[in-house]
Amino acid sequence: MSDTPLTPAIAQATRKRGLRAGRPGRKRTQGNWRGLPFVLPYLPFLIVFGVLPMIYAITLAFTSTKGKFVGLSNFNKAGGDFRFGDAFAHVFVYTAVWLVALMIFVVGLALMLHSRASKATATFRFLYYMPGALAGAASVLVWLFMLDPAVSPARLLLEHVFGVHFFVEAIAPGHLPYIFAMIAFWTGAGGWIVVLYGALNNIPNELEEAARIDGAGAWTIALRLKLPMIRKWVAYMVILSFATGTQLFVEPQLVNEASLGHVPDTWSANQLAYQLAFRYARFNEAAAISVDLLVIGLIAAVLIVTRTGLFKKDD
Amino acid sequence: MKMQRRLWLPVFVTALALAGCSSTKHNTTASSSTPAPAPSAAATSAAPATAPASTPAAPVSTPAAPVSSPAAPVSTASGNLTVWVDAVRLPDAKAYQAAHPNVKMNIVTFDGDGNGATSLQTKIQLWNKAGSGWPDVIFSEQVNDPVWMAQDPFNFAADMGAALGKSVTSQWPAASLAQCTVNGTLVCIQDNLAPDVLWVNQKLMTQFGYTVPKTWQDWAALGQKVATDHPGYVIGASGESYGAWQYFWANQCPLESNVSGQKVTINVTDVHCTEMASLLDPLIKNGSLPPLSVFSPDFAKKYGGTADKVLMMVGPAWYTGVFHDTLKTPAGEMTTAPALQWGTDTPVTTGQIGGGPWIISKHTSNPAAAADFVLWSTTVFNPDPTGPNARPGLPGYGALQGPWLSGLTSNKYWAADPGPAIKAAASQIWSGWDLVTYPDQPVWSNTVVTGLVAGKSLSSLMPAFGKALGQAAQAAGYTVATS
Repeated sequence: MSDTPLTPAIAQATRKRGLRAGRPGRKRTQGNWRGLPFVLPYLPFLIVFGVLPMIYAITLAFTSTKGKFVGLSNFNKAGGDFRFGDAFAHVFVYTAVWLVALMIFVVGLALMLHSRASKATATFRFLYYMPGALAGAASVLVWLFMLDPAVSPARLLLEHVFGVHFFVEAIAPGHLPYIFAMIAFWTGAGGWIVVLYGALNNIPNELEEAARIDGAGAWTIALRLKLPMIRKWVAYMVILSFATGTQLFVEPQLVNEASLGHVPDTWSANQLAYQLAFRYARFNEAAAISVDLLVIGLIAAVLIVTRTGLFKKDD
Repeated sequence: MKMQRRLWLPVFVTALALAGCSSTKHNTTASSSTPAPAPSAAATSAAPATAPASTPAAPVSTPAAPVSSPAAPVSTASGNLTVWVDAVRLPDAKAYQAAHPNVKMNIVTFDGDGNGATSLQTKIQLWNKAGSGWPDVIFSEQVNDPVWMAQDPFNFAADMGAALGKSVTSQWPAASLAQCTVNGTLVCIQDNLAPDVLWVNQKLMTQFGYTVPKTWQDWAALGQKVATDHPGYVIGASGESYGAWQYFWANQCPLESNVSGQKVTINVTDVHCTEMASLLDPLIKNGSLPPLSVFSPDFAKKYGGTADKVLMMVGPAWYTGVFHDTLKTPAGEMTTAPALQWGTDTPVTTGQIGGGPWIISKHTSNPAAAADFVLWSTTVFNPDPTGPNARPGLPGYGALQGPWLSGLTSNKYWAADPGPAIKAAASQIWSGWDLVTYPDQPVWSNTVVTGLVAGKSLSSLMPAFGKALGQAAQAAGYTVATS
């Protein structure tokens, strides 16, 4: 896929702007070093809380409790657990629902915001972002109240539209992937809307003007000009969201406790890993599940990166 | 293209890190109110020898409490002591601190309920891995906790019999001690006994002209009558996580029986199980036994407080607090009736829910203070049955039962003295129900209660329940027999 400009006017405008993209290799290297101070404060945290635990997890996953190499035995044992299939099925349904919602609504809302550049836009941006300011656990608690007809401000909606009269009905097993996707969307989407809005602002005005001169309407501009130009940002959002989606933990864990056990404590794959590790002391199998998630996340990332040309600089 | 290749590295590292974090990133659920403490200084274990006998007599925190425990020893405990308790036991720990200024206490509260909370497992695993950090004493609301605590890989529970001495432990009922005995060693001591009785709203029963049922069948017949004559009133709840303990334990249904070593019998097709399921099904259907928990806001709103629609309820001794504090049933209405009998079967058996145990750590560096604290908590602490600093259950320690029961007798909240039925039921707990290392109550919640909420019948859910229990048992290393 490549960004083929729509019209001659746009092509000209793109050529004008595009000149800046290519730079000699030497300067590019310098630029990389200049970036170092910016990433340096994060680097120790990345190593201590990201890279080292990952290496530890991989080591555990391929060894026995005595530290002997055991090949894929831990993966087989974890995969044979009676909760394994359910946990991964839950997580995939949830991730699919959530990603589709993210792609459609986040991109849609960002495009709408951008096409109506006015003072109201800033207000909306702020409103969208607000729920994201709540920490994960707090936002789950907000939703626990929202979903309980006894205390919910949306009681009428719950009772008359969804036929839910008790909290236990609201969190029936079939509803859970959608509920968790809703919570995740509500807390996470605002941040991405702001990010995509920023990306849209990077699209040069000339392009939009040129498109308008060529007779493109708001719809055409949004779908055929703006959307292709923020494609990489959308890809970036999907990669990160996919990884966090498959690692779902806080939401089902809190709902498990709040629902007095109605939701199993092994609802998601990450919860199963947690239970295997701490209830049964099967740390190696728990690590194997973590590595499963790692591999799934990597495959998804590779697919998205290659399909969208996320890191291509020179098109 | 070079640039593209070079950028792969950070992306991979980021993706790896995101996935690699999965086991460490979200450990946010443990809810200890204070950070896990450092282990007590080793030196403190010698302290009792040099500490002055500070308190002339074992003090009781609330003067109103009618306590004169014969076994209350003069405490010479001192040094550091870290205790983990649930919110209900917090006043107890605080009172011990006030009465023992020589003991430097670190009190941590945690979510120790029976709904599958894994805080303790998590913490003990981590302390074991770290080789330090263990608390000296733990109180758990989950009666099956000591079973796993006493075994590999946890190996946490110390010998309680040795810590308290036989002269003290012999004051507990034999069934209670049996429950705390794992592989021949007494590894815990029950704070309270929690036999099920029939809680009855005397005011409503009189108003409706009903007589208090003596058998499960009479109780169920009344449930049918209530549903027709007084719809909206309930004769219990079927949505508790401990629902199986409430109903099936009482009727000797072998859901966790014949435990020996790593073997367990789970037989949902046993007639004791199926007949109870058939008895409950029409009641769940007609709304007189709703699949809600008494602890849910929904239940309290619909049936508690001024709505006052709980006619009867099968529940444990500590439901004193449920009616008084959780449901806020008006004063002068509730009392108890003896545990229900199945038809004409004798002897009458009942279930038990809770009766939380105290456990001392094997790793404690201050065993004297740890034992003293457990002794004080179980044999001295305020036996007032209700109120802000109450002991919410019938004390396991024999000599404290009298004061606790007389506290019930004199309390004007009750329509009639609930004590005698509770005392009688304490010796009727069916001994064929064994405690296991895996949490069985969440299995009931997420296989049975969710089904009941969706309108399925209990009888139709029993096979799935049996299967799920079997899987939980096998995952914990048990061999399961189904007949």
